[in-house]
Order: sequence, then structure tokens, then C-alpha cells
Amino acid sequence: MTDPVRATPDDSTLVRVRGLTTVLGGKTIFDQLALDIPRGRITAIMGPSGTGKTTLLKHITGQMRPDAGEILVHGQNVPGMSREALYKMREGIGYLFQNSALLTDFDVFENVAFPLRQHTALPEVLIRSLVLMKLQAVGLRGAARLMPHELSGGMARRVALARAIVFDPQLILYDEPFVGLDPVALNQVLKLIRTLNQTLGITSVLVAHELAAVQQIADHVFLIANGKVVAQGDPKSIAADGSPWTRQFFGGEADGPVPFQYPAGDYASELGFVGAVK
Amino acid sequence: MNQRRPQGRNVVTQSLAQIGGCGLFLLTLLAAIPRSFRYLRETIRQLWFVGAMSLTIIMVCGLFVGMVLMLQLYHVLSIFGGTSASGMVVALSVYRELGPVVTALLFAGRAGTSITAEIGLMRATDQIDAMEMMAVDPIAYVATPRFLAGVIAMPLLCCVFCAMAIFGGHLVGVTWLGIDNGTFWSNMTAVVDVHTDIVNGVLFKSLAFGAVVTLIAVYQGFTTPPTSEGVAYATTRTVVASSIAILALDFVLTAFLM
Repeated sequence: MTDPVRATPDDSTLVRVRGLTTVLGGKTIFDQLALDIPRGRITAIMGPSGTGKTTLLKHITGQMRPDAGEILVHGQNVPGMSREALYKMREGIGYLFQNSALLTDFDVFENVAFPLRQHTALPEVLIRSLVLMKLQAVGLRGAARLMPHELSGGMARRVALARAIVFDPQLILYDEPFVGLDPVALNQVLKLIRTLNQTLGITSVLVAHELAAVQQIADHVFLIANGKVVAQGDPKSIAADGSPWTRQFFGGEADGPVPFQYPAGDYASELGFVGAVK
Repeated sequence: MNQRRPQGRNVVTQSLAQIGGCGLFLLTLLAAIPRSFRYLRETIRQLWFVGAMSLTIIMVCGLFVGMVLMLQLYHVLSIFGGTSASGMVVALSVYRELGPVVTALLFAGRAGTSITAEIGLMRATDQIDAMEMMAVDPIAYVATPRFLAGVIAMPLLCCVFCAMAIFGGHLVGVTWLGIDNGTFWSNMTAVVDVHTDIVNGVLFKSLAFGAVVTLIAVYQGFTTPPTSEGVAYATTRTVVASSIAILALDFVLTAFLM
């Protein structure tokens, strides 16, 4: 891990998180979390469900404020930003929602065109070509006039992806991009993420569970558990580093440092067996 | 912006918390008005949706209110031989009370509920969050255009309602029951005062009701728990809270304006 004292990011770091502490509903989600997301690379954030991976993305975009700590994006501290600064920053960030979050009143074309129409005064011809290019990239140019409720889950996700990249943002945050995709679509999305990263130098942050997919594209993996980064490295070495965290997570074992069971009382007594045994 | 539903321990504190939350939300809405000017198209779209699309119900109801009012008045006034005054009484009661109040109640049922349900569903499906992430302020893009549309549409709808009610009164009184046409109109124009009846009665009251109904509708939509039951309850609350607010506010406004 890099030196936590250095608070100003160098050029190679796009997002720097230091001392991040978040408590939600009495449960500590992050406990002094620190990580650096390198510029121009694909970073995967992995970890058991409920460890706050989505929360981390929401902290980075300023949708949620942490209880303590700093999150520097382009060297600016997100929790301390004004509304205007926050919105300015978000124009340079693409965000892919877990459930796509398409605007249901607009068709596919208008959904992708929405950010362009809101933030630019581009002529209609240009908007049309930009939108069709992005839709072609996700393989849905023919679906431009369909409404969101006519799309399957995987198609909706690809439309959401087209919308997230329509501005060619410097940073794209993908929240579970591979869920519900068939193998062909999955491959296309993987290819698209890699192409965006390689040709335009877009920094990508993925929250994902699919180890095989992550190993194909990610340059760097953070494994988060119990509010801290418990392991990090390139995807090949991290799965083989042999620590109890990685062994459990990548081996899919129920026993290990991360309990499979949500904290609960004694099983036998809850089923009423305690008295019967005695 | 994450609007949270205010909490309270019992019905009284809960209602107070809701009223307080609604008041704070109004300030947020008003502060967003300058920013929402760039979404003029959205305001016009909403104006069409809450205003123009409510025209049918407002016109039909206005017609029947005027007709039944004239029918009742004619029979009561005929006891005293004062049927010639019935047109005037229809006009006064419609301008001062029935027009703004009934229009607002219909508006709450027709437009208020759909605003709440629409925003509630947008919230439940993350569309509001998606707008935030696309650097589009949901208050300026979703809430304020609907609020402005309601404030603009209500006085216009109220005028249409009043016109239809007078027309209904004329239809029953003059065409059916045989009141003299000249008497009907001259009595009305002699008594109705532009300032107290039209400006204070029709326009001012309906402006206030429009603001209250859309504020409640938008607020309920934004603070809906993201569940199907939550949206259902929020829609109901819009109608209940709007109806109470309209009738209570009507009393207060009348007391001050009389």
C-alpha cells in the first residue's frame, strides 16, 4: 500500500481514498479504508456481498457523504464539494447502475441522448450520430426506438452502458456490469470496457463478483472485507497469494475470515430444540 | 439529493414532522426555480400534462355543478318570488367558493396523484439517482417544473370551471326554467365585483390551492419509500393531505379576504 501520509495525488492516481469511515444503521461499513485507483487503468473492486462496494462508488461520486475521511478525485476532496462543483465533476464521470436506471418515459435513443441534451447545445444531427455510434458499440443501434420496458435486462444494461459513455468520460464506474448478461453480451461488454480503456485511456472501476471476467480485463484488484482492503494486486497474483481472505473468497468457501451467515442468535434455540435435547 | 421521510413517534409528531419537511422542501423548490428555467420545455410538457389533460374533468364537473346549483336555488328562491336573483347567486357562490375549492379538489385527485405516483416510481427505479449522476438536478428538472405547472394551471382551470358553471346555470335557469335572459345577465354583472370576486376569489385562491396541492404531491413523491406499498400510501396521502389543506386554507383565506 502507498504511503497514507501523502494526501496530494500524483499524476498516476485518479481517485485517492484515505481514512474513509462510514457507519450505516449502526453497522460499520468502512473502517479507515484507504485505496488508490490508478489513472488510465481498469480497477476491480471485489468482496463479499454487503461489504459496501456500491457504497464506495456512491462516496466517489458524492451521492453519499462518509462519516470521516477524504476522497480525492482529480485532487479535489469530494465530501467537501459544493453542489455546483459536484455536478461539474459528475459531468466527467460515467456511472452504470446495477439495475440500469433508464428513464422509463423516454425511448432508448432519447435515454442515451439525455446527457447530451442536458449539458450541450449540439445540433440535432451531431447528437444523432453520437448516440447511434454509442448504440452501435453496444450492439443496439436497431433498438433505438424501443421503450425501456420492451428491453430484456441484459439489453437495458447495455443501453445504460451506452448512456454512461456518451460523454466519453474520464472515469467510468461500473456497478455489477456483468450480472444478467448472456455469454455473447458478456464478451461484448468486456471487449467494450477494454476498448474504452485502451483507445481513450478511460479509467474504469468495476464492482463485480465474476472472477473469470475480472481476470480477463482488470489491471488491479482490491479485495474489500470488514471495512478494509484485505488484499490487492493484479488479478492473477491476488487469487494465488494464499492469504485466508483470498483463499476463502476466490475459493468460494463458507468457512474463513468472512462469515457466510449474517450475525444471528443460536440456531438450535431459535428452532426450539434446546428444551427437547435436555 | 436524498430526501428522507421525516420520522416521528406518534401521529401528532409524525404529522408535524411532515409539515416541517414539506416547508423545507418548499424552500428547496423555490431556490431551484432559477435553475429550472433551462428546463422550460419540461415545464411546458408538465403544463400540458397537469393542465390541458385535466380540462375534460374540470369542464364536465363545472357544468354539472352550475346546473345543480341553479336547480336548487330556483326552487328555494321561487318560494320568495326571487327567482330573478338566482343567476347572481350562482355566480357569486361559484366565484367565491365552489370554483376554486372544487377545482382544487378535482385537481388533487386528477393531477396530484399522478405526480406523486410518477415521482415515487422514478425514485423506486433509481431514475432520480441516475439524473443526479448525469449532473442533472432532480429538484430543478423533476420537482420545480411540476410545481410551476401546477401553480400556472390551477387559476386557468378554475376560470374554465367557473365559465362552465355559469354556462350550466344559464342552461338550466334560462333555457329550461324560463328565467329572463336579460335579467339573468344584468343581475349578475351588477353584483359581481372584479376585485373581491374574480381577483381575490377565483385567481388568488386558486393560485394558493395550486401551489399547496402540487407542493404536497411533489413532496410525497420525493419522500416515498421505494416499495409498491410506499407508492400506494404516498398517493393516498397526497389526496388526504391536499383535501384537508385546501378546505382549511379556504377558510383562512376567506376570513382574511372578506
